[in-house]
Amino acid sequence: MTVASPSLPPGFEELEAFVPYWVLDSNDQRRAARSTAEMDDIQRFYDAIVARAEQAIVHCEQFKLGQMPPASERLFKLLLAMNHAAIAVEMHGAPRAHESTWPSAVRITQGPWPHGGRI
Amino acid sequence: MSAVIEKPAARKHVIDERSFTHAAGLATGPVSVEPYRSPAFFELERERVFKRAWLCIGRIEQLPQINSYFTKDIEIWKASVLVTRDKHDRIRAFHNVCSHRGNLVVNQTCGVAERLVCRYHNWQYRNDGELIGVPDQKHFFDLDKKTCGLTPISCDIWEGFIFLNHQSKPEVSLAEFLGPFGTRYAGVPYFNLDETIVIQADFKANWKLIADAFAEPYHVPSLHPATLAPGFAHPEENRYARPLSAMAHGIHRHFSAYGNPDYVPAPTSKVEALVYVQDTGGVLGGDASDNAAALTAHPAINPTKDPCWSADVTWIFPNFNIDYSTGGFWTHEFWPVAHDRTHWTLKIYIPKTMSIRHRLQLEHYACRWAEVVLEDVTNCERIQRGLESGAKDTMILQDAEMLIRHSLHVLDKWVKADRVADALR
Ligand code: FES
Ligand SMILES: [Fe+2]
Repeated sequence: MTVASPSLPPGFEELEAFVPYWVLDSNDQRRAARSTAEMDDIQRFYDAIVARAEQAIVHCEQFKLGQMPPASERLFKLLLAMNHAAIAVEMHGAPRAHESTWPSAVRITQGPWPHGGRI
Repeated sequence: MSAVIEKPAARKHVIDERSFTHAAGLATGPVSVEPYRSPAFFELERERVFKRAWLCIGRIEQLPQINSYFTKDIEIWKASVLVTRDKHDRIRAFHNVCSHRGNLVVNQTCGVAERLVCRYHNWQYRNDGELIGVPDQKHFFDLDKKTCGLTPISCDIWEGFIFLNHQSKPEVSLAEFLGPFGTRYAGVPYFNLDETIVIQADFKANWKLIADAFAEPYHVPSLHPATLAPGFAHPEENRYARPLSAMAHGIHRHFSAYGNPDYVPAPTSKVEALVYVQDTGGVLGGDASDNAAALTAHPAINPTKDPCWSADVTWIFPNFNIDYSTGGFWTHEFWPVAHDRTHWTLKIYIPKTMSIRHRLQLEHYACRWAEVVLEDVTNCERIQRGLESGAKDTMILQDAEMLIRHSLHVLDKWVKADRVADALR
């Protein structure tokens, strides 16, 4: 599915390129996206989102949780995905834990509300 | 008087060098690994442990109102169980099996209903187990509906946790089963009961391997160097994350985990610093509030009242953990499936999402946890292969691994004892 462009609120155009891969509905999907990505791509996303994180948070704080307009909700989901990129960049220096197997037996079957997902 | 305000001396952590193993009255030699790889031992565990012990299968909040129900597969019993809250507000458990021809009655994982209908021929049960409706009843022969209810399962509650016992007349009550643990941990406050992060894994290893992994912090610096070690060990003061205390409580047990009081996210960890609330006493803390004070005031929690405390791991025999930290509590269910297969459910009780920033912190918390779980699960599958090879007949346990030794000791008793009362001694 292609996202209508621009899909993020005005002022966040430079994050547009990350929407197709990193805007996902559940905690487990975001984790899987990071775990199967190349480190270079994770780093590129990390650098871009971290640079805009404060402004993006302030933008999202205008709205009630779970009641954001679609463009802002996409931005919020990028912020959620930022945490997963951080696991790779800040903890492992690799997409996932060293010597871990993938596909993995581990699933986040219920994530925090909203956009945590339930399996 | 000096005008210079002296910096308080750096808090030095004093490691308790008394032996937890000796204090628990346990031997110190190598232990057999047969319980981890033997299909025959697994069958003994099924019959003598899991079909005689009280097993925790959930919490009362899973039944929020009158007529709430949930179902759960207990593979080690080869059973589907139905747990209900009836109109008298009683929590009851049944085999989820129809009296007509044995179909599973309820196929939803949870819901609200007073009447439960088996879809094969529409026999109807009330949520107290009574059979209340049989279509075309007149063509049955001397059918007495009163004797055809759902088969009850012994069910009891401790501190909001629901326990079941497979024995139709349990040899010991839940209170007797919990013994000194039940009294010692009574009254511990539970909070954040309405929201949970759930992480599950089905993997190829014996159930005790993952239980063991959560029973000792000795592996934290080596297996979890990035996810946990910075918060739960200290490069000078507690390099090997030695527990603050580790004790047996009858057939159950606990250890108190060290927390690095100096822990702050590294300067390069920009996201962690952005989303992390640093007043919870540990990297796994997801909440900060008066709740923490009530928890730490309880005598069972961090019993030595060590200031460098992060969490208590309690292991209720055979397969359940309740772990307490200032940020909240979480539980582990380690469900045996086969001698080399386990289904593990981790439920982390979290506060309701309060803000955008709080939601980001919860995401970080969930994905750190999932990463820890991945490290442990991957590792357990490797251990299973190592043990199955037959290269080693024993394993060697150090003092910080006392809980594992105690677990095997208790397990051995249960497998050998003909009466549960003897297994409790
Ligand atoms: S098996 Fe349940 S109604 Fe026939
Ligand atoms: Fe671990």
